[in-house]
Amino acid sequence: MQIEFKGVTHTYQEGSPFQSTAIRDVNFTVSSGEFLALIGHTGSGKSTLAQHINGLLRPTSGQVLIDGEDIHSSGYSKKTLRQKVGLVFQYPEHQLFEETVEKDIGFGPRNLGLSEDEILERVQEALRKVGLAYDEFREKSPFELSGGQMRRVAMAGVLAMRPEVLVLDEPAAGLDPMSREDMLQLIRSLHESGTTIIMISHSMDDVARFATRVLVMKKGTVAMDGTPADIFLHADQLEEMGLDVPVICRMNNDLRRLGLPLPEGIYEEDALFTALMQLWKGGENHAS
Amino acid sequence: MLRDMTLGQYYPVKSPVHSLDPRVKILLLIAAIVAVFMAGNMLAFLPAAVYIFFACRLSNVPFNMLLKGIKPLRFIIIFTVVLNIFFLPGEKVWLDLGFAKITQEAVMTAILYALRLVLLVMFSSLLTLTTAPVTLTDGLERLLSPLSKIGFPAHEMAMMMTIALRFIPTLLEEADKIMKAQSARGADFESGNLMARAKAMVPLLVPLFVSAFRRAGDLAMAMEARCYHGGKGRTRLHVLKMHKNDWLAILSMAVLIACVILIGRL
Amino acid sequence: MENRIFEVENVSFAYEEAEEKAVQGVSLSVPEGAFYAVLGQNGSGKSTLAKLLNGLYLPTEGKVHVCGLDTADDQNIWEIRKQAGMVFQNPDNQIVATLVEDDVAFGLENIGVPTAQMPERIEKALSDVDMLPFRDRAPHTLSGGQKQRIAIAGILAMEPRAIIFDEATAMLDPQGRKEVFAAVEKLNREKGITVLWITHFMEEAARCQYVYIMEDGRIAMEGTPAEVFSVPEKVQALRLDVPAAARLAHRLRQAGMPLKEGLLHPEETAEEVARVCRLNSKA
Repeated sequence: MQIEFKGVTHTYQEGSPFQSTAIRDVNFTVSSGEFLALIGHTGSGKSTLAQHINGLLRPTSGQVLIDGEDIHSSGYSKKTLRQKVGLVFQYPEHQLFEETVEKDIGFGPRNLGLSEDEILERVQEALRKVGLAYDEFREKSPFELSGGQMRRVAMAGVLAMRPEVLVLDEPAAGLDPMSREDMLQLIRSLHESGTTIIMISHSMDDVARFATRVLVMKKGTVAMDGTPADIFLHADQLEEMGLDVPVICRMNNDLRRLGLPLPEGIYEEDALFTALMQLWKGGENHAS
Repeated sequence: MLRDMTLGQYYPVKSPVHSLDPRVKILLLIAAIVAVFMAGNMLAFLPAAVYIFFACRLSNVPFNMLLKGIKPLRFIIIFTVVLNIFFLPGEKVWLDLGFAKITQEAVMTAILYALRLVLLVMFSSLLTLTTAPVTLTDGLERLLSPLSKIGFPAHEMAMMMTIALRFIPTLLEEADKIMKAQSARGADFESGNLMARAKAMVPLLVPLFVSAFRRAGDLAMAMEARCYHGGKGRTRLHVLKMHKNDWLAILSMAVLIACVILIGRL
Repeated sequence: MENRIFEVENVSFAYEEAEEKAVQGVSLSVPEGAFYAVLGQNGSGKSTLAKLLNGLYLPTEGKVHVCGLDTADDQNIWEIRKQAGMVFQNPDNQIVATLVEDDVAFGLENIGVPTAQMPERIEKALSDVDMLPFRDRAPHTLSGGQKQRIAIAGILAMEPRAIIFDEATAMLDPQGRKEVFAAVEKLNREKGITVLWITHFMEEAARCQYVYIMEDGRIAMEGTPAEVFSVPEKVQALRLDVPAAARLAHRLRQAGMPLKEGLLHPEETAEEVARVCRLNSKA
């Protein structure tokens, strides 16, 4: 499945004195199997862009195409669209509402008009994917779970739609370090099992570790588009935009500035560790 | 979606009317209502109409905005007029429909009532257009504070209003987000009959209530941590003081009432 | 003896319906002017501890003293809250008024500061957190970091000796987190306000003077950041992490690179690594 943005512009409250353009002439294509990180300053238009992917927002001009079809053309079914593209908002646990975990996760499939058997199967599958035991959790109220568990249930509610593309807005926001790591590993495993991931993130360290491609937004336009290695090579440009650079990337740049002959653009801990050990051992050999 | 809704109808410009003491404005509104009710014939509305026109000019609020306030009430006004025309008794019959007679007196009374309603709405709109909701709350609190001696919770009411005003934009934004999130899971808020639509609101309302309660708990804790302990012993940043303009406004209202009474006697 | 702002002795606390205690036998002590951190995962009891520190909760066992005042004594409660303000996690849920300036006034109104003194104190508090230009704005038009700075100003105006930050940056973006932390560091440095910084962000804890790590309601580890983070295995066993620079330094040292102990921040780590590597190649 392929998602294509063609000259997409979105203006909020057009024609009113409060009108503001959140994204402007955005063009890009995402193919199946990518792990795309969407980064940018708050207010750069990331969330607006994300809400265009499954048609929650309609472009003021331009087109959003899925497999070549305009999702806002009259023949395109919204139901199919919602099924294909799942959207997990920031703090998704704030949208839980049913009495039991099972019912809440079943909400999406039920809206699709599936049979009870099919719904049950999907609920079980979704819970398994997020790492919660069906028998233990099905009867629980979503409101009596821990923060991390609530978020998993909310994720399961979207996964039960069996989306081919999952759009996540800051999925790890507000979680403590270990829940955060669990959540990111969960997303990685979804990616590995074939789901296309589009993830909005403020954490460059997460982006560096998981993304296969990075889209940098700046004032509503796409400022950079490339692999993490490409993007973090331009650390100075990112910093100019008020964005962070992964800690490792910053240290690598510091070390190069201090005169160590390290390659440009290292942004992973393992890579820097290996490079430094080589350098140090090399120095030792050289001396002896 | 929901975010497009504007809050209240305060029209934020600077003017002598805007800067009047809110207590004075509330009392003047009450006086104006009394005046409009005292007006016994149509001629007596004239000074009131002139008054509202000039007050509006002075407030820098476009006259259209005042008229807009009438729009939501048009059905009530039409309803009153129709009821009066058909069911008020009178001498001079204009039209006999068999089941009811339309008389000259009835038509005149109906018009009188309609004009009265229109004027009432315009006076109240002028107050809400020129007074920020918080200032209005503040004024109400001060006016009602003597009642706290007999146990009326004036301060608590005002605090409640202020907090409600503070959180309306936050909750609207949240409602918008929840609606989108449920739509993304295939929820449909727009089609179906009334029952179906009411049922479709559950996935929106439950999370919204849960969130409102969570916010209330947090806020109570934060207020306590900032030494809030009710209205006793509190001082205020904004102290209301009467200025020259406030006295002038009161004087002008007195003149209006006098005119209405005089013309009504003619 | 130097002045102690917070003195917690063997305190336990249980919520009404709960079987287990949220805080168990905790003792800690924060001197005046210090910048201390409490670190722990969600549910470790760190937020409960915060609320015990200004009398929002009262200990079921043990004693809490704030500026020498016992929180269990009813008479002290308003003085304690005046001396030790508190900033909470959610920026939206602690602003009461519809205008920035009115919100900063809220605390002053509560403690009965005369009207004539208010404008000056509000102005000063707002300018201390660089928010003076926003005094006429409605809170919902501000960013998360700005809202938190308004919350801080609201407390500053009351002229406290200490501020407790209960995960005040957890819901902010990196930019907001940086601006809030920088504002707090400045208050500590320039005004000598005692700070107790409760967080789960390692990078922030690493910049404090002393760290308490909580786990299951108890204090599991304590020490300077250098001491605490020099044993990553132990910190990770508490379901927490170590700042990336400290982690890398630790790995390099274990692999034989003779780096000095106590490296925490990226800049100092880079310098030390560069120094050692250069030494090696020269030798």
